[in-house]
Order: sequence, then structure tokens, then C-alpha cells
Amino acid sequence: MKKFLALLMAACMLLSAVPALADVADTVAAAADLTHDELVEKALAETGTFVVAGTTSRITTAAEAFAELYGIEINSTNLKDLEIYTKLESESIDMVMIQDGAQLLDAIDAGIVINYVPASVKADVSEEDQYPLAHQFTNKLFIYNNLGDDVPAIHNVWELTDPSMKERIIFKSPTGEQVNMNFLIMLTSEKWSKKLEEAYKAWKGEDIDLGDYPTAGHKWIAEFLPNCQFGKSDTNIAEEISQETAAGKIGLFVLSKLRSSSVLSDNLTPAQYAASAEGYTVEPFSGFMYPIYAMVSANANRPYTAMLFIEYVMTAEGFAPWGKSIGAYSGNSAIPEKEGDLPLSVWKDTLVEEDPEYILDNFEVEDFVRQYLQ
Amino acid sequence: MPEIILKNVSKRFGKFVAVDDLNLNIESNSFITLLGPSGCGKTTTLRMIAGLETPTEGTISIDGNVVFDADRGINLAPNKRDVGFLFQNYALWPHMTVYQNIAFGLENLKWDKKRIADRVHELLEMLRIGEFEKRYPAELSGGQQQRVAIARTLAPGPKVLFMDEPLSNLDAKLRMEMRTELKRLHRDTDSTFVYVTHDQLEAMTLSTRVCIMEGGLLQQYAPPLEMYNNPANLFVADFMGNPTINFIDGTAQMEGSKATITLGNIQAEFTADKPISLTGKDVVLGVRPEHIHISDAGKREAVVYSTLPTGMETTVKLDAEGIMLTAVVFGDVDYPIDSHVRFDFSKTAVLFDKATGKNVARGALRIK
Amino acid sequence: MQQTQTGKVKFSRIKGRLHAWFSKPANIILLVFLIALTVLTLYPLLSLLMETFTVHMGKEARAAKLPVGAFTWYHFQRVFATRDNNYSWIQFYKPLLNTLAVSVTSSVIAILFGGMVAFLVTRTNLKYKKFVSAVFTFPYIMPSWTLALFWETFFKNVNIGLKTSNGIMASVFGVYMPEWFVYGYFPIALVLGLHYAPFAYILIGGILRNMDANLEEAATILRTPRWRIIWRITLPIVKPAMLSTFLLVFASSMSAYSVPVFLGSPVRYYVLSTTMKELMNTYKGQAYIIVGVMILFGVAILMLNQKVTNSRKQFTTVTGKSGQISKIDLKRANAPIAIILVIILLLVAVVPLVTFALESLIIKAGDYSLGNMTLDFWVGTGLDKRLDQGDSTGILLNPKVWKALGYSLGLAVTCSVIAGTSGILVGYGVAKRRGSRLANWVSSLSFFPYLMPSLAFGAIYLAMSSNITWLHGFLLLALVGSVKYLPFASRSGVNAMLQLSGEIEEAALITGVPWWKRMLRVIFPIQKSSFLSGYLLPMVSCMRELSLFVLIVPTSNTILTTMLMQYSEKGWAQFGNAINLLIIVVVLLVNFTVNKLTGASIDKGVGG
Repeated sequence: MKKFLALLMAACMLLSAVPALADVADTVAAAADLTHDELVEKALAETGTFVVAGTTSRITTAAEAFAELYGIEINSTNLKDLEIYTKLESESIDMVMIQDGAQLLDAIDAGIVINYVPASVKADVSEEDQYPLAHQFTNKLFIYNNLGDDVPAIHNVWELTDPSMKERIIFKSPTGEQVNMNFLIMLTSEKWSKKLEEAYKAWKGEDIDLGDYPTAGHKWIAEFLPNCQFGKSDTNIAEEISQETAAGKIGLFVLSKLRSSSVLSDNLTPAQYAASAEGYTVEPFSGFMYPIYAMVSANANRPYTAMLFIEYVMTAEGFAPWGKSIGAYSGNSAIPEKEGDLPLSVWKDTLVEEDPEYILDNFEVEDFVRQYLQ
Repeated sequence: MPEIILKNVSKRFGKFVAVDDLNLNIESNSFITLLGPSGCGKTTTLRMIAGLETPTEGTISIDGNVVFDADRGINLAPNKRDVGFLFQNYALWPHMTVYQNIAFGLENLKWDKKRIADRVHELLEMLRIGEFEKRYPAELSGGQQQRVAIARTLAPGPKVLFMDEPLSNLDAKLRMEMRTELKRLHRDTDSTFVYVTHDQLEAMTLSTRVCIMEGGLLQQYAPPLEMYNNPANLFVADFMGNPTINFIDGTAQMEGSKATITLGNIQAEFTADKPISLTGKDVVLGVRPEHIHISDAGKREAVVYSTLPTGMETTVKLDAEGIMLTAVVFGDVDYPIDSHVRFDFSKTAVLFDKATGKNVARGALRIK
Repeated sequence: MQQTQTGKVKFSRIKGRLHAWFSKPANIILLVFLIALTVLTLYPLLSLLMETFTVHMGKEARAAKLPVGAFTWYHFQRVFATRDNNYSWIQFYKPLLNTLAVSVTSSVIAILFGGMVAFLVTRTNLKYKKFVSAVFTFPYIMPSWTLALFWETFFKNVNIGLKTSNGIMASVFGVYMPEWFVYGYFPIALVLGLHYAPFAYILIGGILRNMDANLEEAATILRTPRWRIIWRITLPIVKPAMLSTFLLVFASSMSAYSVPVFLGSPVRYYVLSTTMKELMNTYKGQAYIIVGVMILFGVAILMLNQKVTNSRKQFTTVTGKSGQISKIDLKRANAPIAIILVIILLLVAVVPLVTFALESLIIKAGDYSLGNMTLDFWVGTGLDKRLDQGDSTGILLNPKVWKALGYSLGLAVTCSVIAGTSGILVGYGVAKRRGSRLANWVSSLSFFPYLMPSLAFGAIYLAMSSNITWLHGFLLLALVGSVKYLPFASRSGVNAMLQLSGEIEEAALITGVPWWKRMLRVIFPIQKSSFLSGYLLPMVSCMRELSLFVLIVPTSNTILTTMLMQYSEKGWAQFGNAINLLIIVVVLLVNFTVNKLTGASIDKGVGG
């Protein structure tokens, strides 16, 4: 018994003797001006498996190509945004790709992740996308089934609040994925409320009567959500709306899902595509867009490799896994959108973008939103 | 030869007292029975001596060695007490053959293979179960299982053998047979036997001394016949003997060692074998059924309530003017129910003090 | 002088008593488990309690306007008493009512269905008994979401839910089921009820099988009609088993997550476990309060259960000699009942497997024609270029899948070894010291993990492990799995030990056989199949567990179920279905292999 205890103690001590972490934040700060070659040299001097985690599934493909390029052992996982933070608390991850800028700002403040802009691409990334570094933008668009006589080819988002649209809109629950919630919160901002007010006038031909709602954004949310049904995932929504039996349905989901083999993409039309082709605009927005950020993790074992990987995915070669299909737009303005897709500049004009600061200051809108999810 | 001494042994389970201040001196080579109704503490006592249960108080020594002493903190493990234990349900290991069951304990004593085989065969021979060597317990009858259990217990040659109601699972005929075998075994093995039973007949027939217990207390510790003839109290008198003793309530009038006792309408004279001292007037007279004589010469008359003839003897229940009496008549006689017979007390009876329930004196009884 | 003498005596008396106490292995085992279980169950509970008063990072800190780590009543105020925007009603009270409705209904369904089948199998001359009893535990062996997923894909149609596509029932048979049948309260309760019906079947069946036939025969002789015997004699006797089933099913249903997500969310039907999961990400404090409420309900039912079974103890001991029981002749009803039962069992146990196989083959959803089928999702290569979806190879060629399978199996085996062995030891200790306070404590503590919702259990352990540097990865998973499945193992351990008379061990003890040898050579071989069942159940449960592990699986090593979840969240339905089928097949294989080789079975594991 005593021997056993002694052994156990020894084992515990051995296991707890984890090497002290160098301060990753300092390392990253000091590396701000390193050139590509210097970065490679320092990265290859690091040891251990390189671990990356991201909300996008294609991180795996990029990581594998990266591993092959530099001969590094790599491990990649695809996780949901909030799971990543849980993971960061409990295990060592080197680099993350994550969405929901509001939560990310908190995480940066708490020192959980560290922002890094590679010197080699800095010039091609617009100022506002550098902190936090936006690796790419994803857009969720109003996309409708183009079959049947009652195609919801909307010109104005207020059409979606009409009782005739009841149970014809499919969205992912805002409580299931934070970017959806962020989109709704953004609508209550001064900018978008004003635009919604104007759009209302364009639609109804009269001024909006807000009643008890504080803003037009609130009113739109309150009338839009009851018409919605909530799908399990964006892929699932895309599949469901693309069915021949789903004529008359419209969804708000990720454009890139149109690439999936299980989606009958011929049956689907993004409202913005139709608008651009026929020269009208969907008032005042045709969906929303959010960045996926690339960050160095504060508990990284290989901070230089993490920085090198961030640099890699900011290049055309590293962006290829995403860039090969529509619906993904690099934060590096030198990388063009996929052929057949609309350029990022069009989307910036027509989609609701998230403003992390505004969301953090107005998160209580979530309670308001929740009422309409019941 | 081993002698077992229990001094002031008590066992409490929480507030419940299972055994209360028990003193017992088990002589070497004796065959002792712990007798009593279920829950009287007899099995607990046995298990405490064997070391399967830890007493709360007292000391126990076996063969001069103190195996338990509450004050000195001594408590020897069961296997260090050199004892054997025969369990009520035999506790044969169902996944081992007869041979393995007997040999398992010996392997443990680090005997060599040859010695084990010799000893097992010796026992198989002795208990006449040699042909079952390779069988599993489930393939044996109750009696055969019992013999295997005995062989297993005897195998290491324990100085003391404990048995916890070993015959209670057998049918009447087998039980009879095993009783004679056990008595023979006691003699052949030369060891001390301590035997637990609730069957007074077993205690009477097997043991050299009986220890009768009730409610955790020792009632009487004596050779069986003495206990039968001179029970210490009403409980012992009632427990020993089948058919059970007659208890007749009455009042006594004392004159030295003589007393005149009124039993309902019957006046009787009791002559004790020693001076009597009573706390009150109320007494209980204990009369064994065989000491009530039915004959035409009897002094009083009674009505036959019912009879139970067995051939060898007949138990007769009598209604003697409101007092119910049980009598035994030897031989193949029978009486018609509701017929009138005459009866008398033969000499022997025991007088109990009703208030304390204790034996006051033994003596002769005569109807006046 | 006198005083030192008595002092000495006192000391040696205490020493002697301690020595006697510690010389019994049962006492040491109980003490060790008391300490270990206190640390492993009460400590998490305590830290859960602490979390409910603590401000966490993110929105919580902003909303409460307090620094991270500060003390706050904010969470309680939010969960129980926020009227603004109907917050408390939406997040707590309404889901609570739904949870209670679902849990009670599923318990009743499990008891009625499982109990009825148990009665038919043990007490009547029903046909196809062998098939029925073999297949009946299937739904439990399969992951619970299996049936839910199947229910949706089978019954969905364009009139209900998302109203976009038809499932097999509508597209092949042209039958359009109403919404209440496919989504929401009814199917959730039904699916959970069917999933846990094996509990009722095993527990009630065990009593019916061992019940003394004389009890019923006595009534038959008194010319009591058959139905009256069942109502007045059989039912009261199985009542404790029914209550135990109620406890087990209620607690499990309450913390079930996947089933309500699949069948509830499409019609906005939420239960506590779904709001808890959602809150766990952003408002941890509130999530932990909901966990606490769920645990309180479990404990309340446990206490009720104990009270009722204790005062009716005489019933539970009716497991004496089972004579020849006269079986009810179902006569003309036999064939119809048997066929209906077989069809139901095929529907809940076999058809889902076929559906998953089918769904893993088709390319475009909803098109079941041969031209739309491919084996690519199983054995294809270069899929990322051809299908532009999911992994580049079919699951059987994907080294990640094999690695995950290996990791899952390794984890399942480890958990089963730890939980199973602990179960035997707990069973030994509790049975030996039956009725003592220590034994009661250990026995209750070892059941407690059952009442903790899996997801929360994982979350608490994750939080705990961040303070203990060596506790992570596989070690953490194995610890969590072992503790969570200990209730099953200890139940079967206690049952097995109680069936074994103490004399069996004492007969070896008296000849000086050491404790470990008594366990290995005497006790274990005799109750081998019961003990092995105590290993089997944790293993099977572990293989198909998701919520317990989802938070603590290390990024570098996925297990099959988390892989499945990732695939289905990404919408890679075919890969997901293929992996689901793989999990079920592996679990069934493990179950049958162990069953055939050793005679251990799930039945004995639950304590039938």
C-alpha cells in the first residue's frame, strides 16, 4: 500500500512537471516585423505537434498542405466557435480560426488569443480588417427556391415580414450560432435602423409606425422571426430548400453551401445574384457577412509556426481550399473572388456587416430576440 | 487438547445486544451445543469464537492462547485460530470439483501435491464419497454435499470444529443418519466440537454439554440430561423435551422442604430435595409428560381431549377439570376421544417461582 | 497510577478495534470509495454550486457589470426572476414544464411498454419469445439519437416542420403524418420511452421471472379471475421495480439532449437540457443553475423511490424458488399480439439500421433511386474533388475514422475496466457491511453520478481539470467515463454479491486464503457473468456516448461520436450516417461477442 502511494505520488509529480510557457504575447509582439524567411527559420526551430482549430472545416485541408510544405507534424480540428474557447482553457492549441468578433474582442482583452498581422501581407489588408485580423469573409444570403409559381424573389426585406411569408423562411437559430444573433443586433444600430425605415417607406409607400419598438430594426426582427423556421445547419437548410418539394421557400444561409454535392443548387437562386443580374437592389440588404479571424493562441507551444501558418493562409496558395468555391472572400485584397461570384466590394455594399464594438454594447438585444424564437 | 474459554463476552450491533456478558468454559474434547430459538445469539457466539465476528467486549482463548481480548487489543484472524467451520448451507464452491473443494484450503497451507492428494483421498474414503471426486457440487445430493463440506472442513485437521446448523437442510431420515456419523466423527477426530442448533433433540442426542441461550443471555450450561431433569428456569424447561413439559399454575403453602400446592381443584403435596425459598405464593409446577400416569388406579379423573399415537408411544392430551395436561403412554395404546380416564402424578416434578421464573427445587409430587 | 492503567487499556482497546476494523477488506474498500467518491462526486457538485455565484468571462461580466470571478446573484435573478422580455419564462419555466412533461410521459411509456413485454415474455405462451427478448435491448444499445434521427427521416413531410421535403413514409408510401406525431412533445417522449423501455423490461421481467408462483396460485385456488390476480397481486409485487424504472428513465430523459434537439427544435419545442447547452456557451452561471435544478429533481425522485421501496421491502425479497409457473394461454390472441410486437421491434430496432445504411448511400437528399446511390461515402477516394463535400475518402478508407474508432474502443475498454472493477469492489463492500451507515453512504454516492446530466458532468470536470495539470486528455476522459458509469457497475456488483451467501467466502477465509485470492479464485468465478455484465454496460454506454465527452475530448484525438456530431453539424449527412451505422455495428458486435463468450448481458448489468 505504501509502495503504491509512493509510486502514485511520483507519477503525479512527473505529470505535473510541464515546461513553463514562454510568454507568447511578447513573442508575437516582437515578431511583428519579421520577414517570411526569418519566420520560417524560427518556426522550423520549434518542436512538437502543431495544433490548429477552426470553425471552418477547410482548415484541415489548408493545414495538411502547410504541413507538407514545411515538413511539420500537424493536427487540425473543426470546432464550433464557443467550443474553441472552452478548449483553449484546457489544452494547448497553437492557432485558431474563429468567428464572432464581439466574443473575440473579449478573448483578446482576457489574453486568451493574440492578434498578429504578418508583415508580408500587411499592405494588402485594409486597416479595419487588421485588428482583429480578418482572414476571410463569409456571407449568409437570402437564397430562394426558384421553382413553382410563387417564387419569393424578394426586392425588399420587409416582404419577409408579410404574413404570407409565414413558415416559408428557413434560418438557423440565432441562439445556435452567434453570428446570426450578431446580424440581428446590428439591425438595431442607427445605420441599419435608418436604412430599414427607408426601405419600409419604399415598400409600403408610407412612413413606418414603430409603435412600442425602439427602432425599425426591432420591428423587423419582431415581424421577421415569427415567419421563420429553424434548420439544424446551413448545409441542412441548403439541402432542404433545394428540394423540388420546397417550392416557395426562402432561406438565409451560407452561400458556399451551394457547392455541396447533396444540394440541388440549380433550384436555388441567391436574391443578390438575381438583383445584380437584373439591375435592381434588395432593399436595404440581401443578407449579412462576417469575418473569420486568424489568431495566435496564448498557450501556443509553437508561436512562430502559428504566425507562419497565419501568413500562409493569407496568401493565395494558403487560401486555395476556401477560394476554390464561391462564398469565401480573403481578407487579403490581392486575392480575387472565385469566378462567377460577386466581388467582396459588392457584398460590402449590400450586406450587413458586424461591428464587434456595437454588439458588445448592445448585447441585451439578445433578450428581445429570444422572445420571438418561442 | 484444546479448551475454549469465553470471559465476559458481549456483542452489540448498534443498540441491539446480540450476546450479553457471556461466560463459557468449553472443555477440551467435548461436544458442545449452542441451543436456542432463532435470534438468541448462538450463531453470533459461534462466529465470535471462530473469528468471523469481532466481539465488543471480553476475552476468548483457545487452547491457552488468547485469540481475542478487547482490553489488550488482541484479535487473531480466523485462519490463525486453527479451527474448522461447517456452514449451514455447506458453502461449497460451485465452480470447483469435489476434489478441488477439499484441496483448495490445503494448497493454501503450502502443502506439497502428494501430501494434499493423500489427505483428500483419506477424507473421501472416510466419508465414503470417493466416487464423486470429479463431480461438481451441483451434481450431488444434499447428503453428499454435506459430506463434502465436512471433508473440506476436516482436511487441515483443525483442533476445534465449529458447526452452524449443519443438518437443517437435510430431510429427516438423512439428518438422523448424519447425527450418528457426527458423533462417530467426534470420537475419531479427537477434537472439540462446537455445534449450533435450534433443535433440542439434536442437542440432547449429540452433545456432552448444552449451552442454552435466549435474548443474548446464557440460560443454562449443563449436560443434556441434567438440563432435561433439572432445568434452570421456565424457558429452559419449556425448550427442552418433546412433547413439551406441562406447566401448571398454582399457589404454595410452605412447611420446611414440603409444600402444599393448590392447582385449580387439585390439592397436591410437593416434597423438595432441598429447603424451599419463595418470593411469593404463586408458583408454576413443571411436570414432564412421561411423569403423568394414566391408569385405572389414578387418583383423579380427566377427559381425553385428543390423542397422537405413534406406535412406540402415544401422546395424550387431557382435560383435568379445566387444567390441560399432556401425558405420554408407552406402547401401542389409544383412547377414544372424550372418554374418561384416571391419572396420577408420578414422583418427579420441578417447582418454579412464578415471579422470577427460576427453578426453586426439584422434588416429588403427590396428589392429596 | 490507576489512571494511566485505565488509559493504557483504553488505548489498546481502541487500537484493537481499529485493527479489527481495518483487518476486514470490506471496510478498507468502503473507506477508500467513500473518500474517492466524495472527491469525485461531491467536489464537482460543490464546484457547480460555486459556479452559480461566480461571474464568468464574456457577456456575463458585461451584463452583471462585475469583474470576472466576482460573487454575484445575477445568475439566479436571471434564471428565476427576470420578467423583462419574458426571459425567465422563456429560458427556464417553460422548458422546465416541457422537461417534466416529456420525462414523466417517457417514464410511463417505458414502464407500460417494457412491463407489458416483460409480462408477455415471462408469463404467457407468446410466440417468437426468443426474437423479442433478443431484440428488445437493441434500442438501448444504440445511441439515443438513432431513433430520433430515424423518426424524423422516416416521417417528415412537406406539410410539417420545415415543410420542404418528404421522408420515406411520405415519398414511398404516400402517408403524411401530422405534425404532433413527428415533432415536439409526443415523439420526444415516445422515442425516449422506447429507448429506455429495456430498463423496465429487465427490472420488471426479473421480478416476474423470480416471483414465487405460489403467490398467484394461492389466488387462483381462491377462484380469483385472471385479470384480478394481475391487478391485485402481480402489479403490487412489481411496483418497486416500476418505481426503480421510473427513477432511471426520468433522470435519463431529463438530461437527454440529442433527442429533443432533433425532434423539438424544428417546432420550437425546448427543454431544460437544450437551454442548458445553449447557456453553457455564453452564460455558464445560469447553465449551472439549470443543472442544479435537474439534479434536485433527480435526488427528489431517488429519495421518494427509496422511501417507498424501503417500507415495502418485503416485496423485493420475493425472489425465492421459482416453481413451475402456469403460463397464460393467449389462445387466438397469441399470433396477432406476437406479430404486432415483432413489427414494433423491427421498426424501432432494425429499420433504423436499414435507413442509416440507405442514407449513407444516396448523394442528393430525398432521392432513393438507384442512380442516386454510391458507395463513395464508405470506400470512395478523391471525394473532395468529385463531390466537393466532406472528407476526401470514404469513412472506411479514412485513417482519421480508424484512429477515432481505436480511441473510442480504448476509452470504452478503460472505462469499463475501471468502472466494472470498482463496481465489484463496491458491491463486495456494500454487501459485506450491509445496512451499515458506511455501506449506505457508499452505495448512494456510487449512484449519484447517474443523476448528473452528462453534458454538465463533462463541463464540471473540464473546469476542475484546468486546475490539475496532469489531468487532461485520455486520463480525464477515462476518469469521467468511469465515474459516470459507476452506477451501473456498482448496481450489478451489489446485486451479484447479495446473491452470494457470505459463507462462500468465509469457508475460504477460515483456511487462511488471502483476500485477493478469495476474490479471484472464489467470488469472481462464481458470479462471473453478473460481474462481467458490470463491465459490459459501461463499455457499451461509453462507445455510444456523446454529451459526456463532447467538451473534454482533446482536439488531437476525436472519438467516433464527436466525429459523427461534427459531420452532422456540418451537414455531411452521408458520412454522418455511415459513422452512425459503424458505431451501432461495433457496439452490437461487442455486445454479442461478450455475451456469447462469457454469458454476460446488458440485462444482468442493469440488475435484473
